[in-house]
Amino acid sequence: MQFSKSWLQEFFDSSLDAIDLAQTLTIAGIEVEDIQDLSGLSDQIVVGEIVAMEKHPDADRLNVCQVDVGANDLLQIVCGAPNARIGIKIPCAMVGAKLPGFDIKKAKLRGVESFGMLCSAKELGLSQEADGLYELGSSLVLGQTIIDALALNDSIYHLSITPNRADCLSIKGIAREVAALSDLTLKNKDMVQNLQYKKNNTQKVVIEDPVLCPRYVGMLIQGVDNKKKLPEFITHYLERGGISSINPIVDITNYVLLETGQPLHAFDHDKIDGNIRVRKALNGEVLLTINQLEIVFDGGELIIADNSGPLALAGIMGGHLSSTQEGSTNIFLESAYFDPAAISGRARSFGLNTDSSHRFERGVDFGYTRNAAEYAAALIIQYCGGRIEESADITGSLPERPAITLRVKKVTDVMGVRISDIEIKIILEKLRFEFTYDESIFTVIPPTYRFDMSIEEDLVEEIIRLYGYDNIPALAPSTEAKILPVDSQKKDVKTIKNALANLGYNEVISYSFIEKDVEIGLHGNTTPIALKNPIASHLDVMRSHLWGSHLEVLVYNLNRNQKNVKIFEVASVYAKHKGDYTEAKVLSGLVYGDHLPEQWSEKIREINYYDIKGDIETISSNTLSFRKPATDLPAAFHPGKVAEVMLSNTRIGWVGQLHPSWQQKYELPRKAYLFEIDIEKVAEVKGVSYTIPSKFIPIRRDISLVMNKDVVVGEAIESVYAKQIPGLIEFQAFDIYEGEGIEKGKKSIAFLILIQDTYKTLEDSDIANVVDQVIKVMESNYEAKLR
Amino acid sequence: MEHLKKLIDEAKKDFDSCGSLTELDNAKSKYIGKTGPLTEAMKGLSSLPKEEKPKAGAFINEIKKSIEALLSARKEMIQNEELLNQLNDESIDVTLPGVKRNQGSLHPITHTMNRIEMFFHSIGFTLADGPEIEDDYHNFTALNIPEYHPARAMHDTFYIDDEHVLRTHTSPVQVRYMKNNKPPLKIISPGRVYRVDSDATHSPMFHQVEGLWIDEKVSFANLKGVVQDFLQQFFEDETLSIRFRPSFFPFTEPSAEIDMSWNGGWLEIGGCGMVHPEVLRQVGIDTNEYQGFAFGLGVERLAMLKFQLNDLRPFFTNDLRFLQQFRA
Repeated sequence: MQFSKSWLQEFFDSSLDAIDLAQTLTIAGIEVEDIQDLSGLSDQIVVGEIVAMEKHPDADRLNVCQVDVGANDLLQIVCGAPNARIGIKIPCAMVGAKLPGFDIKKAKLRGVESFGMLCSAKELGLSQEADGLYELGSSLVLGQTIIDALALNDSIYHLSITPNRADCLSIKGIAREVAALSDLTLKNKDMVQNLQYKKNNTQKVVIEDPVLCPRYVGMLIQGVDNKKKLPEFITHYLERGGISSINPIVDITNYVLLETGQPLHAFDHDKIDGNIRVRKALNGEVLLTINQLEIVFDGGELIIADNSGPLALAGIMGGHLSSTQEGSTNIFLESAYFDPAAISGRARSFGLNTDSSHRFERGVDFGYTRNAAEYAAALIIQYCGGRIEESADITGSLPERPAITLRVKKVTDVMGVRISDIEIKIILEKLRFEFTYDESIFTVIPPTYRFDMSIEEDLVEEIIRLYGYDNIPALAPSTEAKILPVDSQKKDVKTIKNALANLGYNEVISYSFIEKDVEIGLHGNTTPIALKNPIASHLDVMRSHLWGSHLEVLVYNLNRNQKNVKIFEVASVYAKHKGDYTEAKVLSGLVYGDHLPEQWSEKIREINYYDIKGDIETISSNTLSFRKPATDLPAAFHPGKVAEVMLSNTRIGWVGQLHPSWQQKYELPRKAYLFEIDIEKVAEVKGVSYTIPSKFIPIRRDISLVMNKDVVVGEAIESVYAKQIPGLIEFQAFDIYEGEGIEKGKKSIAFLILIQDTYKTLEDSDIANVVDQVIKVMESNYEAKLR
Repeated sequence: MEHLKKLIDEAKKDFDSCGSLTELDNAKSKYIGKTGPLTEAMKGLSSLPKEEKPKAGAFINEIKKSIEALLSARKEMIQNEELLNQLNDESIDVTLPGVKRNQGSLHPITHTMNRIEMFFHSIGFTLADGPEIEDDYHNFTALNIPEYHPARAMHDTFYIDDEHVLRTHTSPVQVRYMKNNKPPLKIISPGRVYRVDSDATHSPMFHQVEGLWIDEKVSFANLKGVVQDFLQQFFEDETLSIRFRPSFFPFTEPSAEIDMSWNGGWLEIGGCGMVHPEVLRQVGIDTNEYQGFAFGLGVERLAMLKFQLNDLRPFFTNDLRFLQQFRA
């Protein structure tokens, strides 16, 4: 909402300059988004009149004007504006004037001297657009500064009003707040005292829904002249309030709306067929709105209708056919209270958000309905003539304002500092709330314009707000000094992130949404969770893996000359499950490039599967195992270079090489590796036990075994461990050889065997025994032969 | 015998001319070897009269000792020189780059959230979590934002279906936590939130930290105390000014925007307030017994201020050149 400060000033006798208005509004809870000062124009810009004009001798589009600025001599000014003509009054910037962006100097334009400039509204900074000179009212005094002539000693306040404060959507409402938070006294500006008219209800208005329309005031004003010119202050105020001038009657209704917050509508009475009915629309009924939008009703929408059909969308927008035009002479003025429930969501569903609907859906003062009509009628009669011939005033079931109990103790408890009864009393008076008081308990009846006061806490908030948030001390709470539990069975996710960072990984944060095709193709999710209103078409579904996002990060960085990319992210992935949604936190990553950056001292090689596997082993403190996947292999992976990450017998993730066809699709010159692990599981340190090392030195024996090429070494090692051979503490492959000397289809693997006993030094025979047992397992399970 | 005295000078000259231990070894045999003049002189002692023998013997020994001393001095000198040469030969250019590893890093948002968590943990807040695909009830209704409430329009919500949205704030975690735990309650909940908005200062996905403290006497003054204390510690500035500006959130009352002074003006960094009695009632907490506060802080805003960045977008473009500055 925006408004002119001068308009607000009209609610006070003393000057607003006595207070810091912006600060007052801010502490009231009204956000001041911007203050636009209009008074900055140079006083060398004055009202002038073109008294003579002739064509420039050397330029077709320029005129040489003689301008009267109320001084002895006329000013000769060269001007190119299309609407320049003798007799109009215009803003004239004289030599020495400063305009936004440039200064006016004596100049020669194509040989003709010019002593100033005639200005458009845009050149003065008063509007965004202009197509010629700003033509001023003919009654303005020549030589008067433009500041005075246009009452520009003003500023426009742009405010953001929270949805609970419908009462502040008007100059009057803002004025009430300012009065409550300062020593300024509010004037009763908008109450017409002695308007004479027949309160006869002769105008037939039928309210079919007294719940959604509890109050309806209508006035038939006949014989108006809607071609009259309104005093300039009204158009200035409207402009500065962000509403453009249309015709006098509409301008007056808008003026009353902005000043008092009561939306009004003026129908052309001659276009109304019979009775006014406030009713629900029937399915299929049609209304052409003022802004030429054709609305076809579903049925059930609250409308204003006559015998022929819909005239207006109640509280939202009027109809085009019954709208007041310049030639209208008989007006039916409507001032109503519509229940927020009748308006809420409706305007938006028609793609409309009007000044009227904005207020009705938040709540309009239902104690002011008739006063608003009288105020507007009085202004219409004053400026456009006419008389009130008939009127209607119907009251249905208006909202109630039940008394609220407010305990002083409650205020103190919530605030956290003691407040006295008298302080609360003063605040309630400032707020103009009706109340009674008895033994530290107030019984409060909130005013009809406050829709945010229904329980004690609402009043507590008001008291604290008026008391001033700044006046409440910042107190450290006193609380039980209790130590928080720490789970030793779980590693902090932070620890894992740190470990990865120390291994050279960069943590990324990518959007949780991804392109549908990637979700289906790369992530293999045939039933993606789609967003109804995605921010962009390539971010239209929720991701079930992070890989697609990470490939994008890879491509982004490769395009910026990065050679090695090691990234990880901890984030939720999403799945649909029988109409419900599930989420799991995963640790996911991507690795690409060389195992080390290029440098003088190290031999550089391309990163491989075992680098990533090793990293995962390093960050997990439990015994993860890696298994060749049997089924449901994700489409993202190279089928021969992928492992399931296992925690005992549960799969908790994947690690492997990006499938070559995806590598091609993303135009990656080198291989990329991906992994994903359930972060909760990998953080578990359950079942870890600790021992003191044996004082006996372990004995190492190496053996070479020849076996079929397709033997999975990891499984083979597991099968040896599974035998639990006494004394065997480690069995590990340390070299793999194929080729000359080894039969085709076979491979030779060198294993180290570490043997140790906790209690004694091992004899040669003990050692030989362990080695034999290991070989036997390998022989019987994998047909391995000692080389 | 006196001629033997000259040997000392000769030996010194000889030894000094030796450049290596091998040469020195050869030179040594000329004087104190088995066939050297001193050995010969010793042998000649037997031909001397008995009373002269001890004196002559002592004299020869004296000379021998002197030569040996010369020898070992020279030996040490040569050894030192050789070591020096070796060290010289072995010296390297210590300014060449060390073995470069890939530079790892933690995301600035993680750094910021860790820091936030640490401060609140230090006064007893524990972590809580909730889903990002949230149902309408927890994201809105339970937070006192019924359907058609104008406050819903302030949220620019991403919709999944009629019942589900991407959470627009971390506040639904409050509701879930209060439903499942009895007061006193003291949690913070950092996480991703979503709004349909994207420009230089808005991202469709961003992070909030929600805080909630429900107890018998937790007041608005305490809310001010905790938030102010936190911000002053976070920015390591005990004089940092904080302003609580009256505002409106349907789930708190009274509500406030949290502003902090920055470059001569005020900068909004979050919202807060006393938990609305309607919200407490929804989760079955007796409002006669308990009250408390909640706050929500914008993590990106705090990170931008802390790291002195003037653009939000780099947080989500994941340019390694940006990220690698934020080391673990």
